Amino acid sequence: MEKVSFYDQIEKNKRDSLLLMLGVFVFLLAFAWLIGELYDPAVAFLFLFIALIITLLHIFISYNYGDIIVLSSVNARPADEREHIYLINTVEGLAIAAGIPTPKVYVIDSPEMNAFATGKDPQHASIAVTTGLLENLNRKELEGVIGHEMSHIKNYDIRFATLVAVLVGIVAIMSHMLLRTYRFGGGRRDSRKGEMGVIILIGFLLAILAPVFTRLVQAMISRKREYLADAGSAELTRYPEGLASALEKIKNINTGKMPVSEAVSHLFFVDPTRTALDSMFATHPPIEKRIEILRSM
Amino acid sequence: MVEFIFGLVCIVGLLVLALLAFVAYYYNRIIVLSNRIDNAWSQIDVQLKKRADLVPNLVETVKGYMKHEKDAIKMVTDARAKMMGAGTVEEKMKAHGELTRALKTILALAENYPQLRASENFRLLQEQLEGIESKIAYARQFYNDSVLSYNNMISTIPGVWFAGFMGKTPRKYFEIEEEERESVKVKFEE
Repeated sequence: MEKVSFYDQIEKNKRDSLLLMLGVFVFLLAFAWLIGELYDPAVAFLFLFIALIITLLHIFISYNYGDIIVLSSVNARPADEREHIYLINTVEGLAIAAGIPTPKVYVIDSPEMNAFATGKDPQHASIAVTTGLLENLNRKELEGVIGHEMSHIKNYDIRFATLVAVLVGIVAIMSHMLLRTYRFGGGRRDSRKGEMGVIILIGFLLAILAPVFTRLVQAMISRKREYLADAGSAELTRYPEGLASALEKIKNINTGKMPVSEAVSHLFFVDPTRTALDSMFATHPPIEKRIEILRSM
Repeated sequence: MVEFIFGLVCIVGLLVLALLAFVAYYYNRIIVLSNRIDNAWSQIDVQLKKRADLVPNLVETVKGYMKHEKDAIKMVTDARAKMMGAGTVEEKMKAHGELTRALKTILALAENYPQLRASENFRLLQEQLEGIESKIAYARQFYNDSVLSYNNMISTIPGVWFAGFMGKTPRKYFEIEEEERESVKVKFEE
């Protein structure tokens, strides 16, 4: 029975991804056409043509390079073969258990405990883990978390989640990245005034639009996939207590103040920008509930 | 009359098509499942080979410190030699059990040598060995899962009808030996 639902999940993710790409395509073209008509019906056609090229490019890049955009937006760096051999071994082990190729492994420098997976399919997948997670978990607990991510990869959750983040949330991601470079890049005060003016204007526009797109992203993500991935992890490690104990540590240690864009927060293992609070816009189920289910397995 | 024959031909044609689709589905399914087992075995094989390759390095590192543990070291090198010489799946499974036990013993003994444990080289080797050990466990789990779905397929209806024609028989699980499950007892003599 569970095998059937597993394949159903893959089919659903592939179908949802396709529908999302079609939806964005139609929406952006209709939007461009409307703007053109309002501006000057004579050039509406030209508008449409330019929009077509940009939209196709946007979809192509989101589908094929969405993982790179997400990884660089959270400052992930490739894991070091010597320093992180423990992590790399764990990822390889669980990839073998899941019967998929070993994903690329990344590390994020942050005291917060979190992880995520991204990519378009199991053949092009990446797993990123924070240094906080590596420092605080033992092997069994880490295996539980990696198993959860491996399960997201195996059932193509990563394709849909990455597409939602990049295709819809790109405005919010760009706004966040611009803010970050502006805030931490202090040394560029001497650049020309005109250039700064344009950047500030763009930043202002992005910042106004960003929340709209974050809400859209959150509305598209179902919390059910987290429960499914938890169950998948238990099936891979044959030890649900490892994941439950990892969640318990996370509940006690995390502050919920990880500086990532809200448009990518649904990709993470636990919500990076909120604590265990349950809210209407939450993309993640409450941690207590996840622990409870794992302990009853 | 013509219409009747035409209708009949259509129905028979559809039935034949449905039958063909049915046969193709189950034939392919059995082939896919049996290939998955072979693939799962090669995953185990890769890890077994990697571990065997680490052994000379381990022996070299350990030799200088563990002068009084000649027997334990010899056990490891012997088990490795057996592993390298093993040809069939059964032989490899057996040699794997022996090497696992020998390595567990030597790693447990290493606990008594603080200088050895402090060496960077040893720590890296130990991490690699532990990593491979858990990868072998996971590869075995995947192998056994694959065997289970294959065996289920060819022993239930309708898979069992096809298995007969295709000459497919149930495959064996990769069991671990009883001794291997027991924790290693290290004797502290003198």
